[in-house]
Amino acid sequence: MFTNNPFAALTGFLPPLVMQVYIVLMTLAVVGGTLFDAYHKGSAKFFALHRMKKSAAAQRRLSGGETFSLALETVAEAVMSSEFCKWPRRISHLLMMYGFFLYLITTVAMISAYPAGTPTPTILPMLWTVGALMILVGGLWFFFFLRVNVAFDGASPFHLGRADLFVGSLILSVAFALLWHGVQTTYGNITAAWILFGLYIFFTTLLFVSVPWSKFAHMFFKPAVAFQRRIEEANGSSDLPSPSTENYIVRS
Amino acid sequence: MPTYTDMTKCDGCGECVDICPSNIMHIDPVYRRSYNIEPNFCWECYSCVKACPQNAIDVRGYADFAPLGHKVRVLREPEKGVISWKIRYRDGRLKEFVFPIRTTPWGSIKSPSDYELPDLSALTSQMLSHEPTALHVPALPTINMAKA
Repeated sequence: MFTNNPFAALTGFLPPLVMQVYIVLMTLAVVGGTLFDAYHKGSAKFFALHRMKKSAAAQRRLSGGETFSLALETVAEAVMSSEFCKWPRRISHLLMMYGFFLYLITTVAMISAYPAGTPTPTILPMLWTVGALMILVGGLWFFFFLRVNVAFDGASPFHLGRADLFVGSLILSVAFALLWHGVQTTYGNITAAWILFGLYIFFTTLLFVSVPWSKFAHMFFKPAVAFQRRIEEANGSSDLPSPSTENYIVRS
Repeated sequence: MPTYTDMTKCDGCGECVDICPSNIMHIDPVYRRSYNIEPNFCWECYSCVKACPQNAIDVRGYADFAPLGHKVRVLREPEKGVISWKIRYRDGRLKEFVFPIRTTPWGSIKSPSDYELPDLSALTSQMLSHEPTALHVPALPTINMAKA
């Protein structure tokens, strides 16, 4: 199960070109959805105005080297998810983030580089499965135990709202992908495989076309805002007070 | 001045929801970030402001008597035991204040359930729970009940 290209069995019904066009359409949906989201909510305009205001209030100009260094710090923060203050959320986010990258890259590779008739290196389906499992572990942990409305606001672990559109569609997409892959390789039940494939495509499409209504675009917005915050702290335009020069912790 | 959350800074950790004594810090159902559901009922204790690890909660006056333009920002440095405030007045003046808030590391205070149960004789003691050891003093003055 873990060593077969799950998309190879589809080529009798769906030519590789159709699957590749689907990937392009989903990429366009993410780009278009993110741009629409930024325009519709006015967040791009707000961000640009805020940036101009802060540039005018800057107490010193940053050199190219300093800006580059701040960009590297921002990337390091995003890579390690260190903006999260609690370790369970951080680990859950890391599992979902790297699982998603792994799952996405191997999906694109298996569909684009290894169409029908071309043997797929076994490492790709294995990594695809590992990525999907990482998303499931991180996602289900987050969904049932770490969602702030569940952990702190008294909501039921089964509560569903618009805020769950992204994580819900992501979990269901990979869950049905794994089930479909398992059924088509292990049990060979054609009808069940097609039903699970249909559910997999439905939730995958929902994940990518719901960008304007979900938090999918946070992966683009959050690093930009984090970088701007570092710039403001460095050039003196931040609203935050200066850090204390004294440490008052005197007892353990 | 009641509190409000800057949703671009909030990461939805829930600390403010947990600590708010008025139970008015809640989670937005669409964006899953915290927000003050009823600023009129805010006690202005600023527990949420001080507890927020992302410095995402600010305070502002009611729009009817304090036209916007001022700003109050807070920086929490638990590793130094300090909360700092930066006040920007409507005429542009800036003032900064540093408040030491504790002398022991953040999270080091034991909860009541971490202590051993006191025996019944504690009911007649003039000491409060875990006094005087918890106050880091050898003894506290007591009233001589026979003379009182």
